[in-house]
Amino acid sequence: MNCKKVRRLLPLMVGSEIPQSKILSLKAHLEECPKCRQEYDSYNLSLEQTKEWLAKDRIDWEEYEWQQALQSAIKDKKPEVTALVSWPFKKAWAYSIIGVLVVALTLLLIIRPSIMQKKMGLGSEKFTEEQAQLFRSSPEESEQDVVSMTLVSKETGLKIVWFLNKNFELEVKE
Amino acid sequence: MEMKSEDELVEEVLSGDHRSFELLLQPYRQGLLSMAYRMTGNLEEAKEVCQDALIKVYRHLSRFKKGRSFKSWIYKITVNSAYDSMRKKKKYEDLLESQKKVGLSAGHDPEKQLLNTEIKAKIETCLQGLSPKEKATFLLRDGEGFSIQEASEILKCSSISIRTHLSRARKKIREQFEKINFADTKEVRR
Repeated sequence: MNCKKVRRLLPLMVGSEIPQSKILSLKAHLEECPKCRQEYDSYNLSLEQTKEWLAKDRIDWEEYEWQQALQSAIKDKKPEVTALVSWPFKKAWAYSIIGVLVVALTLLLIIRPSIMQKKMGLGSEKFTEEQAQLFRSSPEESEQDVVSMTLVSKETGLKIVWFLNKNFELEVKE
Repeated sequence: MEMKSEDELVEEVLSGDHRSFELLLQPYRQGLLSMAYRMTGNLEEAKEVCQDALIKVYRHLSRFKKGRSFKSWIYKITVNSAYDSMRKKKKYEDLLESQKKVGLSAGHDPEKQLLNTEIKAKIETCLQGLSPKEKATFLLRDGEGFSIQEASEILKCSSISIRTHLSRARKKIREQFEKINFADTKEVRR
C-alpha cells in the first residue's frame, strides 16, 4: 500500500470503519512510514478530543421547557391509528394506480358503446326497417302499452294475471 | 420497578397513556437537543426543531415498526426537522456568522456557561466548515455513537456515502483542530 492510498483511508481507520483485511496492511505501512504515522496520530488526537468536547458539552432542556415541549406535542393531536392491514405501497403509487384506473374506465365507457353498436349493426346507415322490426313483438304493436304480471302458486297451481297500463294502473280485461 | 421496553411504551402511548410518552423520550432529551443545536447552531432554533420533532413523533407513533430501533427513528425525525428548519430560514449561509455568537447565547446557568464557552467555541470552530450532510454524519457517528448502518438509515443514504461524508468531515475537523492547537500553543508561548 502506498502513502496516497493510506492517507485516504486514515480518516476511517481512526474510527475503525474499514475492513480488518485492510487494517493489517495499513498498520504495516504505518510502522514503516513516519509521515503517515504522524498523520494518523493527528487524526486520532483530533477525533478523540472532539468527541470529548461533544460529550462534555451536552445540552439539556430546562425541566419546565421539556415538560412544555412534551405537553404541546401531546395536547393537539392524537396519535394516528394505523389500518388493520398496512398499505404496502407509497402514496404516490396509490394515486398513480387510481389515476390509471380512472383513465382506463373512462376510455372503456367511451369506446365500448361504439363497439357494441358496430357489433349489432346499430348506429350505422345500414340499419333498416327490417332490423328494427326484430325488436318489436309484432308489426302492429310498435309501442308497448300494457304490461302483464303473472303470479303462480306453487302449492295449488293457481294463476293470477295482472295487466298494468302505462301508468301502472290495473286494467281489467274482458 | 420493572423497566418496560420501548415497544411496550409505544403501545401504551398509542392506547392513550401520556405518561409513557415522557418515559419513552426521557433517555434522548439531551441527545436530541444537542444534535439539533449542533446542526442549527442556535439554541432557540434547536428547541423549535426538537419541538417539531416531538410533535411528529407523537402524531406518527403508530408508523413506528416494532422491533426496530426507536432511537434511530426519533433521530431521523429530528435530523429531518433540522434540515427543514435550515432550509426554510436559509440558515446555512448565515450559520458561520451566527456561530460566532453561539457561545454567548447558549445555556442558562451563567457559571456553567462560562466554563463551557471555551469548549463550545472550539466545537463550533471544528464543525464550521462542514456541509450539513457531513455535519449530520459526523454528529451521528462520533457524537451519538450510531453505527455506519444506523447512520445510513437515519440519513437515507448508502453506507458508502456515509463513509465518504465521514471521511471528509474528519479531514476538515482535523484541519480546524490543528489551527486551534496552533493558536493555543501561540497563546501559551506569550
